Amino acid sequence: MATVEERVKAITAQKLGVDDIKLEDSFTADLGAESVDSIELVAMFEEEFGIEMDEDAALAVQTVGDAITFIANVCKEQGVEIEQ
Amino acid sequence: MVKAKKKHRLVDTKAPNLIEDVFPYNLPPLIHLQGPVVEYIDGEAVEFDFAAVKDRPILITDTTFRDGQQARPPYTIEQMVHIYDLLAKLSGPNGVIRQTEFFLYTKNDRETLDKCRALGHTYPECTGWIRAVKGDFRLVKEAGLKETGMLTSCSDYHIFQKLKFRTRKECMDSYCEVVAAAFEAGVRPRCHLEDVTRADIEGFVLPFVDRLMEMSSEVPQELSAKIRLCDTMGFGISYPGAELPRSIPKLIYKLNVECGVPSDRLEWHGHNDFSKVHTNGGTAWLYGADFVNTTLFGFGERTGNPPLESAVIEYIALKGDMCGLDTRVITELADYMRSIGLPIPDNYPFAGRAFNVTRAGIHAGGLRQDERIYNIFDTEKLLSKPPRVAITDKSGADGVAHWVNEFFGLTGDDRINKIRIHKLARWVIDQYDVEGRLTAISDQELEVKAKEFFPDYWEKYKS
Repeated sequence: MATVEERVKAITAQKLGVDDIKLEDSFTADLGAESVDSIELVAMFEEEFGIEMDEDAALAVQTVGDAITFIANVCKEQGVEIEQ
Repeated sequence: MVKAKKKHRLVDTKAPNLIEDVFPYNLPPLIHLQGPVVEYIDGEAVEFDFAAVKDRPILITDTTFRDGQQARPPYTIEQMVHIYDLLAKLSGPNGVIRQTEFFLYTKNDRETLDKCRALGHTYPECTGWIRAVKGDFRLVKEAGLKETGMLTSCSDYHIFQKLKFRTRKECMDSYCEVVAAAFEAGVRPRCHLEDVTRADIEGFVLPFVDRLMEMSSEVPQELSAKIRLCDTMGFGISYPGAELPRSIPKLIYKLNVECGVPSDRLEWHGHNDFSKVHTNGGTAWLYGADFVNTTLFGFGERTGNPPLESAVIEYIALKGDMCGLDTRVITELADYMRSIGLPIPDNYPFAGRAFNVTRAGIHAGGLRQDERIYNIFDTEKLLSKPPRVAITDKSGADGVAHWVNEFFGLTGDDRINKIRIHKLARWVIDQYDVEGRLTAISDQELEVKAKEFFPDYWEKYKS
């Protein structure tokens, strides 16, 4: 199974049409995500990991690295198995 | 650079101060006035107590069927009767909208008046409007009206240039003859001082009003002349320090205090040629005229008159109470006016289709969190119009989420969050980015998409 980082980067690359994604990249400033892109990304992460995220908390996440941490925590809280 | 006079200390807090004594939300924002206000008149400082307006018997009058009708093709009798009926409903049991005036010259005019009175409403009282012609009192008398407005134009533009009097005295004598005829006929005259904001106040207006007051002192109180100050061209100025004849404070003071016209016989009638009409009406109330004359949606000669519905909101704001007014009828009246072909701009305050519709996504985000952030007051309760968002490329996901929740009537925890509306939000953005659309997306289009993207909600709330 791919790691959380690999899965987050793959979805982000697919959604935003970018490659060479770094952990410190900001979704908006570096990767060009607009308002609707952000909610689509959250929806895609939820589907990918089979989780439900708090809207405000999820949309407050700024960087790819923070998203990986956030999703990993939510998976843990909701009992979803992941590859770290 | 101007030197600062005072340092201001931050009052830190964890609880917001929403200033709810001014912005109660279940009422329009209240107007709290502190006095005294000073105006220099003839070199003397004169104090006005604005706060007294809360307890003064100020009222609204209406001229939708007279001045309002001069700005458009005639209403049918049925239309006028329906509008009158709604005005009575809006006015409420206290008769805040106290009077409305009617032409009396044609058979239709008189039939309309009869049908309105047959509805049996106490308010608005029906009054007439005639030229300053003695014979016209027969019409007033036959119609059984107790009061009528009559033209007593008072600027030299009217006295000499229009009416062709040779002297002011000839003009004044002529007007006073007609007033005497009104008294004889047992009809209360309401003298409309046309073009007063362009008149010689000391040289004609005050002597004329003095004479009206003398004549009134010789008749029963209920016949005593009322004075309507007509700002015919919209020249009136509300600012303290403005000079006569344009100063509303000084005009009202002179008539009220120097001539002794009681406040309950003083009325302000404005026009909007300089976009001052609503504030000028409020100013007249504050400086001592009890009545402000208005028309529905400001329809009136040229640029129109003080909008009645705005005067209603101002009235509640000054009084701090609904005073029996049913403000939801404003929306009924607006819908009716549109249905009979009167245009009301979408962004028109209180009555336009989009007066509380935001197009900015960032504002929609605010509405989503707490509608008070971007709604002027509880427009759903007071006007049957909840705040809404119009969907464009500027609406963002917040705007789309607000629209969806409002459409399905979802509140509190039942609301659909932004993440769940991502497909509709994407469709909206693609309309502009991909399809090159330049217009707002209509509710009808969004409804089709809402059915497609939210079938469960559609089934539960719309089928």
